[in-house]
Parts: sequence; structure tokens; C-alpha cells
Amino acid sequence: MIVQTQYFHYDGEITLQSGAKLGPLTIAYETYGRLNEDRSNAILICHAWSGDAHVAGRHSPDDPKPGWWDDAVGPGKAFDTDQYFIVCSNVIGGCGGSTGPSSINPRTGKPYGLSFPMITIADMVEAQRLLTDHLGIPSWLSVAGGSMGGMQALQWTVSYPERVRSAIVLASTARLSPQTIALNEVPRQAIYADPNWNHGDYYGKTPPVAGLAVARMIGHITFLSDQSMREKFGRRLRNGKNGYGYSFEPEFEVESYLNYRGHSFTKRFDANSFLYLSRAMDYFDLSYGLPSLAHAFRHVTAKFLVVSYTSDWLYPPWQSKELVRALLQNDIDVTYVEIESNYGHDAFLLEVDRLAELTRDFLKRVESASVSG
Amino acid sequence: MEAIYRPDLEAIVELVHDGARVLDLGCGDGELLLRLIASRHIYARGVEISESAVRTCISNGLSVRQGNIEEGLLDYPDQAFDFVILSETIAFLNRPVPLVCEMLRVGRRAIITFKNAGFWRYRWRMLIGRGFGPTLDSNEPRERAITLNDFYALCKKVKAKVTQSIFLVDQRRVLYWPELLAEKAVFEITKLP
Repeated sequence: MIVQTQYFHYDGEITLQSGAKLGPLTIAYETYGRLNEDRSNAILICHAWSGDAHVAGRHSPDDPKPGWWDDAVGPGKAFDTDQYFIVCSNVIGGCGGSTGPSSINPRTGKPYGLSFPMITIADMVEAQRLLTDHLGIPSWLSVAGGSMGGMQALQWTVSYPERVRSAIVLASTARLSPQTIALNEVPRQAIYADPNWNHGDYYGKTPPVAGLAVARMIGHITFLSDQSMREKFGRRLRNGKNGYGYSFEPEFEVESYLNYRGHSFTKRFDANSFLYLSRAMDYFDLSYGLPSLAHAFRHVTAKFLVVSYTSDWLYPPWQSKELVRALLQNDIDVTYVEIESNYGHDAFLLEVDRLAELTRDFLKRVESASVSG
Repeated sequence: MEAIYRPDLEAIVELVHDGARVLDLGCGDGELLLRLIASRHIYARGVEISESAVRTCISNGLSVRQGNIEEGLLDYPDQAFDFVILSETIAFLNRPVPLVCEMLRVGRRAIITFKNAGFWRYRWRMLIGRGFGPTLDSNEPRERAITLNDFYALCKKVKAKVTQSIFLVDQRRVLYWPELLAEKAVFEITKLP
């Protein structure tokens, strides 16, 4: 499947949740499959923290790597491109082609850096709504995503209840727990501590590679589980034959894994975007300013498929259960499954076969409900 | 799904009115809910603890959530359902009283079915020293022995009254001496005012 990233330019401004204004906007997106005649088969996939619009397929025949969720999006897969018109866009604040802190501020001719306004999950959804209008999609058959993508899916059902027929929310939450905020703060501190960060003003200079790498390493620890680390690395040494080297060189396989992941991430991700997106997640709380979480869903009509993973300690099953409870209190149609998995938070990307079975059955039911009214 | 004749499930179908809102606790693979949808066009919801059973429900087009019913039914507002059903499950609960109270809070009526430990064959088994329920080496979960009188005592404790009862043995209805002659009991109860 060969795809191209497309760009939608919006000349106006949007008012952000903070009250600040942002515009003009560029939104990078990709589409897969075909929109049917009555425009009823469109599914929006929302990406997580480090994702982008390139969810599946390859950009050219010799492209070495497919999109970030290629296992789940394609012909006959969990999100079947033979049946559905799939759209994925890069969030605003990101660095995958949509407007973010590394974009040029048209007013100054220089990259925004920290003058980029603080954005929230609701602001990301607002940008996606502009794209939805541009694509001429009256309502989404489903909005789906894991982790931060799941937060966007939830936000869609609340912000635009009439334009979302279902939401698929994987390994996510309706509000970040203090533990997860803490696990976002430490990576931010690692970036602040890198002198090259220079309060976000590093474009055209040396970027804060060391800080961003540490930030990502912390992320990778939270994506795995105690058990998956034991299975994947154990206490294995890089030079197993020679025994301990008694030095600070990377000795254990888990160390070289983290170092490798941390440093390769710095080649493709902007440190400021990393900061902005982590802050957007911290602010995410659908019950903010409301008497209860259930209150947040009082106008919601979408059907929900909520999935959690037993070993996920970043967005543990109790958070999905809290969400399910709030939905059920509003008499919303919710299907909830807790998938037994050792992969930790990463399970939502990896347990694709077990997910495919669920999305297929669920989407079929959403479609038939739409037909019967 | 093949429609095998299940008199206990049919008895439940008989109690439920057309278009009712029904919550089935421990709904398994959804057989009862599917029967109720087919013959009573109910609004069907289920809770089930096993991931694989939940998957079967979803593939049958049901709206089911995975969960442990013994953690309570806080997810549901008061009187959200016409019927809350606990079919062949009460004997396996650790703490039946709080759950039955919750059923009566969430539903206008509760339907509870169980194996009658006072059935003469079970009494005979116990008399000859074989005990009630699964044997020690069978690897089945332990099961509480519940007689009809036990159930009436439970109703009294939770301030509920029996509004309907159906007693079964093999494929037939039991009309006399259910304490002794019924193998299965199907009760509909409601909260006393």
C-alpha cells in the first residue's frame, strides 16, 4: 500500500481552550481506502504521543518502514481499508507536518518555539474537525485511538456528539492520573536540564538531543511491563561471555535497548513538540469544571468499545473501568474488554490480532445500528 | 447459536415482558440475552468475567462489559433496568447478599435461578455420603448448597418478596412439594415497599 502525506491549509484562526488564538494552520494527514457514496464509512484514527499521520502503508516501494500501526490498518486488517475510508492526521503541536512549535510563525518569520500557545486534547480535536469539514465527512463511523489517541477519540464524542457514531478507546483514560502526570514531568525535566534546550530556542542550532533521549527512555520504561522486560531482556549482558565489565559502559541488554530507543527517537522528534504534547495530556480531564466524570458524557450518543490491557501500568485497567462506569451511568452503549497481556502499555500496538476480532464485530454492529436508524 | 431446549432459560423468557430493559449478570457467551432478544425484543446488556466469553458475546452483536459482578454494580444508576438476572451463578458467589441488594437497587425486578440443594436426589446423594456439588477432584469451582428455604431467608434479609416462582425437574414443571421435587428454581423477586 503506497500512500502520500497530504496537507490541508486553513487560513483562519482557531480559539484554543486556553483562550489563545492559533492560525493559520497546516494539518498533515493520510487517507486509505475509499469514501463510499453516502460518506458513511469514514474512520478517524488518532495517534499517540510520538505518532504521526503515517499510520499504515509505505511512502514509496523502497520505503524501509511502514506506518506506525501498519499491523492494524490495511486490507482485511483490524481497520479494513477494503471496507472503510481511514483518515489519520498529525495533531497540532506535533512535529509530523502539522503546525507545532517547530513551525514558522508567519508573524515573525521564525519558528514558534515556546511562543507556541499551550494546546490541549480538545484543541487537537478542533483542528481535526476542520479537516473533517474539508474532507466533506458529515460524521465518523468511528474515531479510534490508543493512549493519547484514545483521549482524542473520547474528546470527539464530547465535543461533537452528533458527528461521531462510535469511539474505540484503547489503553487510555478520561483523565490523567497523578502517577501519569508524574511520569510526564520527569521527561520534561530531562529536556529542561539540557543546556541546548535553551528555553525552546534551539532551531538552527544544536537541539537538546541528550535531554530528549533521556525523556524518551523514561517513556519506554512506562510502555513496557515488569514481566515484558524480564521476558525481553532478563539480566542478559551485552557481552555475556566475558561476564561483568565493572564499568559504566552499557552492560545490560535493557540498557542498550533504552539507549538505542532514546537516541533514535531524537532523529525524528522535536523536543518542544514532546513537551507540548505531554502537557496537553496532563491537562486532559473530561470532568474538569464539572460535578462528575459522568456529567461530561451527558450529551454523548456514540457507542463505545473500551479496551484495557492487564499489564498496562501507565493507563491501567482501573482507569478504563472508571471511564466505563461514567459512560454506563449515562446509559451509553459500552462494550468493555480487558485483554490479558504481558506487553504493558505497548500492548495496544502489539496485540493486534486480538484487537482485530473486536473491532470487526464492533464496527459491524455500529454500521447495522446506523442503517436501522 | 443452536437453540437447544433449555427449560430454565425458557422460564426466564416467560417472566420477561416485551421490550424490557434487561441486565444479565454473568451472562457467559450471551445465550440467554440472545434468546430474550429473539423472543422479547429486549434492550440487552451483560456483564461477564471471562475475556473469551465476552468476545463470543461481542461476535454475537451484544453489548457486554467485562467485569467481576462481586465488585458491585456501581456502574448502573438506580432502577436502570426492568430486570436484572442472575442465572445459575448465585451458588458460586463469595458474598451473595450485597449483590442481591445491588440487583434490587439497579432493577425493578431481579430474576435468580439456582440448583435446589433440597431436591430429593441431592438429599439422597448427601445421605449416602457423596456431598453436594462438584467432588474434590473435579477441578470445578466450589458451589454453595442452596435450598428453597435458604433462598426465602435471603429474601427476608434483603427485604424482598417473591413475585413469581417456577420449579423444574428434568424438562418438566414441578407443581407440588418443590422443596423436595424441584431440581432447579427460577425466582422473580422485588424489593418490599
